[in-house]
Formats: sequence, C-alpha cells, structure tokens
Amino acid sequence: MSIISFLIKAMQNQYRISILWFAFIFSQLMLSQQQKEEEKDSTKVETLSEVIISATRTKRQLTTIPLPAQLVFKKEIKSINSVRLSDILNEQTGLITVPDFGGGEGIQIQGLDSAYTLILIDGVPLIGRSAGTLDLSRISVGNIKQIEIIKGASSSLYGNEALGGVINIITESPKSGFNSDINYRGGSFNTHDINTNLNYKKNKFGVTTFLNRFSSNGYDLVDTDAVNTVEPFNNYTLICKTTYDFTKNTKLLLSGRFYHQKQDNIASETLKGESEINEWNTLLKFDHKFNTTWSSFLEFYASQYKADEFLNSEIGSTFYESNFNQLFVRPEFRTTFRFNDKNTIIGGIGLTYERLKRTEFFGTPEFNSPYAYMQYDGNLTKKLSVILGTRFDNHSTYQSQFSPKIAVLYKINDKIAVKSSLGYGFKTPDFRQLYFDFTNSTVGYTVLGYNAVSSRIPQLDANGELISILVPVSAFNNGLKPESSISYNFGVDIKALSNLKINLFRNDITNLIDTRVIARKTNGQNVFSYYNVNEVYTQGIEFNGVYKFNENVSISGGYQLLYAKDKDAEKAFENGQVFARITANSPSFRLQKNDYFGLFNRSRHLANFKIFYTIPEWNLETNLRSTYRSKFGIFDTNGNSYLDKYDDFVNGYTIWDFAINKTIYKHYKLGFGIDNVFNFNDPQNISNIAGCIIYGTLNIQF
Amino acid sequence: MKTIQLTVLAIICIGFTSCNNDDDTPQLIAVKAEQFVNLHAPQTSDFTTSPPTITGDFVKFDFATGTTTTSDTDWDIAFRGTTILVNGGTSSGIPEEPTRTGNAGAYILTDIFNEVNTITESSFEQDSALGLAIKTGSGNGWYNYDGSNPFAPKIEPIPGKVIVFRTADNKYAKVEILSYYKDNPDVITEDIAQNDSRYFTFNYVYQPNEGKTTFE
Repeated sequence: MSIISFLIKAMQNQYRISILWFAFIFSQLMLSQQQKEEEKDSTKVETLSEVIISATRTKRQLTTIPLPAQLVFKKEIKSINSVRLSDILNEQTGLITVPDFGGGEGIQIQGLDSAYTLILIDGVPLIGRSAGTLDLSRISVGNIKQIEIIKGASSSLYGNEALGGVINIITESPKSGFNSDINYRGGSFNTHDINTNLNYKKNKFGVTTFLNRFSSNGYDLVDTDAVNTVEPFNNYTLICKTTYDFTKNTKLLLSGRFYHQKQDNIASETLKGESEINEWNTLLKFDHKFNTTWSSFLEFYASQYKADEFLNSEIGSTFYESNFNQLFVRPEFRTTFRFNDKNTIIGGIGLTYERLKRTEFFGTPEFNSPYAYMQYDGNLTKKLSVILGTRFDNHSTYQSQFSPKIAVLYKINDKIAVKSSLGYGFKTPDFRQLYFDFTNSTVGYTVLGYNAVSSRIPQLDANGELISILVPVSAFNNGLKPESSISYNFGVDIKALSNLKINLFRNDITNLIDTRVIARKTNGQNVFSYYNVNEVYTQGIEFNGVYKFNENVSISGGYQLLYAKDKDAEKAFENGQVFARITANSPSFRLQKNDYFGLFNRSRHLANFKIFYTIPEWNLETNLRSTYRSKFGIFDTNGNSYLDKYDDFVNGYTIWDFAINKTIYKHYKLGFGIDNVFNFNDPQNISNIAGCIIYGTLNIQF
Repeated sequence: MKTIQLTVLAIICIGFTSCNNDDDTPQLIAVKAEQFVNLHAPQTSDFTTSPPTITGDFVKFDFATGTTTTSDTDWDIAFRGTTILVNGGTSSGIPEEPTRTGNAGAYILTDIFNEVNTITESSFEQDSALGLAIKTGSGNGWYNYDGSNPFAPKIEPIPGKVIVFRTADNKYAKVEILSYYKDNPDVITEDIAQNDSRYFTFNYVYQPNEGKTTFE
C-alpha cells in the first residue's frame, strides 16, 4: 500500500518529474550521439507482427512507440468468440464498458467517460452520439484485423474527442486470391450472429465484403414492469472495401459501411413503438508514393447517422416522435516525409463539416472546423524514440485549439524500456450542449443549450412562464469553452521471464461541462442550461503481464488502480462543507476529507486474468477469462450530492467466461462457450450484464 | 450516536450554566434543546390543473409554547406538505395561506445543528409574492425529492441544513428537520413512503430571551 501511495504522490508531482525526465533523456541523447553508428535493429521475430498504425498514422512497431498503447489481435477475438466490440474491449486492462441511460454501452479509459474517447474505424471517426455515448455494441468484430488502443490525450494527431484516448479498429484489407468464410454464433436469449467475409484480389484489383446480421430477443432483468431491459432487436452491417493499385506506388481505396438496426421501443403497457438507426460511412482514399522519402494521401470521408423513434398510444395516435440526423464530412490531405529509415515527419490539413437536424433543437446547427497538424517521430538512436506533435483546430463556433504532444521512449537495455508522454486533449461541446431546446411534456422542466439561452429565456419570460431568472442572460455571451485535458503517462516495459508493462497516468481536465438551473418556472420546475465548471482529475497505475509457460499455455493478467475526483468536491470536503446522515431520522454530521470517494461510476480497482491453453494434437484451443470490478457508486443516496463512503454502493463483482474451440477437417471450426458462467447480474444497477450466456459457434473457411 | 451524546452533553452544560446564571441574572430563561415529533401537515392535491393545485389548512407552530396552534396571530411558522411559511412578510399567493401578522423570517445554513450559535440578522428573508423565505422544490430548501422509486417517492431532509428563524415577536430559533414521516422511522420503507408522509419531526432550540442573538 505504501508503494502505491508513494507512486500516487510521485504522480502528483509528475509535471516536475516529466521535465526532469525529458532533461535526462536529452542528456542521454547528447551522450549517445557518439555511439550512434551501431548495428541495426535487432528486434525479435515474434514482435515484428506487432505493428501499430494509430500512434503515428504510419506502420510502426509497437515496441518502439513511446505511448501507452495496447493491441488486440484477431486471434484473441476469434478465440473468445466475441461478436460485438463491447465484448472484447471489456476484457482489456483498464477499459470498462458502462451502460448509458440511452441504452448504449460506452467505454471508460483511464477513468474518463465514454464521451471523451475517439472511436475510429480504419482511421476515420464514428459519429452518432445522441446522448454523448458512442454505443460500442453497434460495431461487429467479424472483419476486424486488430484493435489499437492508445491511452492518454491524443488531440495532437486526432483533434476533437481524443481526450482520454483513441480506439482505432483496423478492418481486413483485400489479400491475394479468393477466399471466404461463414461464421455463426447462436446462444441464450435467442441471440444469433451470422456473418460472412468475401475476399478477392488479383493483380491491381481487390475487394472485401463483410455482411453481418445480429439479432436477439433481448432480455428482461426486472419482471415487474411492462418493459424489457433490452428490447428485441435486429441489425445488419455491410462493409465493402475496394482497392485498386494503379502502380506499386499509386493506390486507391474506396470503402463503404452501412448499418441498420430496428428495435422495439416500449415505454409502458399502452405506449409502444419502434426505434430505428440508419448509418453509413464512406471513405475514398488515394495514396501516392513519389519516392522513398515522399508520399501523400488524399482522403475524403463522409458519414451520416440517423436515429428515429416513435411511441404510439393504444388507439394508434402518435404520442412521441424524435429524430436525430447527423452528417459529418471530412476531406484531408496528408504527406509523410521519411528522411531516412529512422525519421519521419507527417503533416496534414483538413476540414471537418458537421450538421445536425434534431427534434427539440434550436435551428439546424452547422460546424466548420479547418485544421492542420504535424508530427515528427523518430528513432534518434538505437535506444531512443521520440514523438513530437502539434495540431491546430480552428472552429466556427468555439475557441481555436492548439494541441501539442511530446513522447519519449528510452531502452535502458534489451529487457527494460521506459517511456513518458505529455499531451493535450480537447472535446468541443456537442450540438446538444449548444442548441438543445427541450421541454419535458409530462413534468415540465426545460433544458436549453448554451446558445439557445439568449433568445429563448426572453421569450419564456415574455410568455409569463418564469418566476425568476437566476443566471442573467448576459452570462451566456462568452461562449461555452471546449473541455480540455493535459495527460501525463509514465511507463516501464520489462521483458524478463514474462512481459510486464507498468504505466502511471494522470489526466487533468478543465472546463468540464455540467448543467445548472438558470431560471425558475411558474409551474414549479426549472430551466437548465450547460456551463463550464468542474476541474476533474483521474490518476492511477496500470499493470499488464503476460507469461508463456510454453508454446501452448499462456496466462495474462492486468490491473488498474484509479482515483477519479472532482477538485471542487475535494475542496468542499476539506473545508467541512459536506454533511451526511446515517439513518433516515438521525441528525447530520460533518464528513471528513477522506470520506470523499470520487466521481460516480468509477471503480477503484479493475482487474482481469486469462488463461489460454492450446492442445495441438487435438486441434483444440480453450480459454478461461475473468474480469473484476470493485465497488462503485452511481447515485448520491444520502442527499449531499457527492459520492461519499456513507452512500449506497454497487457491490464489486467478478465475471468468468469460458470458451473452447475445435478445428475439424482443417476448414471447419466448432466452438462452445459460456459467458458469465456464474450467472452474475445486478438488475437494479447494471443493465448491460444479462446474466449467464451459453452459446455455440460454427466457422467455415472456403 | 456521538452526535446524540454530544447533544445530551450540550443540554447538560447549558443546564448547568443557566443554573449558575440564575444566581447572577435571574431574569434570563434557560435555553433548551427540544424535539417535536409528528407535526402532521396534510394537504390536498387537485391534479386536474397543471400544475396541480394544492389546498388545505396550514398547521401553525409557536416556538414560545413549543406547540401547534390555531391562533391567527401567535404563530411563528406554518406547515403544509413540504411547504413551510413564516409569519412575516406578505402573501405569496398560494391558496389558503394564513395572513402574516408578525415579523418572522428565516434563512438556511449548511452546518452542524449544535455548532450554529450566532445569528446573522441581515440574512433573514421573509415570504412574498416573489417566493417563500424557505424555498420550495427539491434541493432548493430543506429537502430532496427522491423519485428513484416512482411508486413511492421519498422526501428526505438535506443533510447539514439548519433553518434559523426569527420569530413573529423578534426572538430566535434554530431547527433541524429530521423526518417527514410518521413516528420518525429510521428506515423509510415503500409502505411508509406511500402512507405515512407529512409528519414532521424536528430538533429545535428556542432562545426565549429578548435581544439575545446566540443559542447559548
């Protein structure tokens, strides 16, 4: 415990340590200049395949990347029989999917909310965050080659939303020849996933097609009401990727993705309807290698996300209807300059255009955001790799953002490497926080976006709907500022016996956006709007270890310790301004500083443990995995608005999964598995854990 | 438990000091910590209007006697449902409210009940058409509305809220509301939340001595 508290303390001084660290690195750099002309990179063959694109937008070996990065390979996705992205990410160290009130599952990275992680498919962003969360169960994993996870602020390369990190999903590209496969998984709750991959490539032309249908009867954790926890749904994904190589150096890529989902929408016995999602994205990419040093990419990306839902009353009349229609267009041009084997500069310019049409919105807002970025990455010496990056995002509505990053990796010897990075991340307020104009029809409260306030409040006042205005309209003239963070990471990779990675992190977030009451209405309800308020930090330490007993048996484990706290809340506790009561009839008492637990929905401890076991003579592979999440709070239950140790917490839990797969006749694979073997569920608090799921799979390769 | 012990201790101390005071200044009356249990404050709601119209007689309370009263003038505060009025200021415009005849006022502090000892005269507010001295609505005044169970919503006093009153005749009192449910239960079950609401239990200290601005 004392070691951990020491590390935490050390991290609070990390800014200072970082400076010292970089100073040390550069002194090393000066020294090592003399010993420069040495033998070539001697990385072992086994790690050669571990290539990561997201850190630099070029292929780089994972071991030379100075950032906290994690890869998940197709092999693992296949061996655990995962079907949706949420399944596989949930088993990675420090990542957890949490249910959102909209029904989606978002991801937490380093204790930062799902709204602060950028999700990319083949380097271009997914859109459609109607309530801030991007639902990861929307993404099928059937055609994924690998998943790249970069932790810590990465806006220097990716701009908006890359505050907590970036998850880049790399899908399969056309490979020579013709081949195809069919995969089926059927299991509890009448859940079926069927998908097929078709691949063809000959000479200059290549194409891959992926088609997936996923359906389920959903499940119901609470029997007493008319609604299911997850209503029945079915969805289709179609992905088509075409490549044409004009020459060895000039290539064209055209890819398209379509997603369609229909789900029952049930509010009560009498109010029923349907919700529908239609989404497409398309990417046209043209790349040309002028020579060994210069190459350029021209990209045009567009995506549209439409979500429509309605509820009808018993007699068939429309009770409720809502539409969400977001359009995102981004042309980008980038160039890489490889001045030798070891040093690359990449630069890019682009423009993001976004538009949203939505019911309960104040107008049809549009954003325009031109941007430019540049990043240097290089292996300065055999031992030292550096990333220096910067990006400038101009914005039609917000303050422009300047996002720098510096990251350094230093190999002390063959077995130990230390790395450190310092980066800036930001997230511009979304359309909702600016333009929402919503009045609850049954209760009567109103939510206004920041920019809707100055025209809507005078209107409401003139209509006699307000008793008092608590925050003057003039307070809304300065513009809502983007949320931003500075993130520090310091890690050590140790290759002895096993492969051990340790990373210390801290994210300092400012201008976090929250809601507050700005006026009182005559009906006794309030008018809410958004404002910049909180300063929040998340810090902790992460361990990842893999140990291979032999070719056939490997175990891995991971652990994350996390402290996620609001700085104002900490102050309030320190100043003795927070109170609680033990029972419903006891007097109040004052809480102490260490009674403050932290932000909602954050667990102090996350851990995972996996065993993979292969029996080659039987063509059999099997695995047992477990994930642990310690207690967390989702509401303040004792009325002081903070999460303190006297609140009711959701108990910690462990989930065990088991899978076994056998290959027969080379091209057929049969699988069986149980997810959540001990049938853990918590209907009141955790809506995305359905309980025990038993399934079977069949894969055929042609 | 500790808090209760402290309260008892405080009462004993106050008792002792006032005993001593009796010898020197016999005109001072002892300040006592009291508890009132089950002040029943019913109301009727008419849901045919939007927002619903709340009616019913306010139940008036007098700090000097420590009892409820039907007097038109000798009352300090009045209860109906979660609404608390003071006998000072002007009509707020809600149905069936009693006429203000005194100079009562109120303000809410965030503190420990036993640690509130002084009065800030400038903080007092009175009822008016712009709103009540004790604000209504969840989180605004003395209570939180917990609607997590829609079939049995609960009214819970906000921890650390101490209401300081100036009485109709310019004396002072402090109040900590403990419960909104009958017989001051330590757990509010669904049944209690549905059937036994609008019974106030509160701790209070009344300063009966004219011109004294502390609770010691």
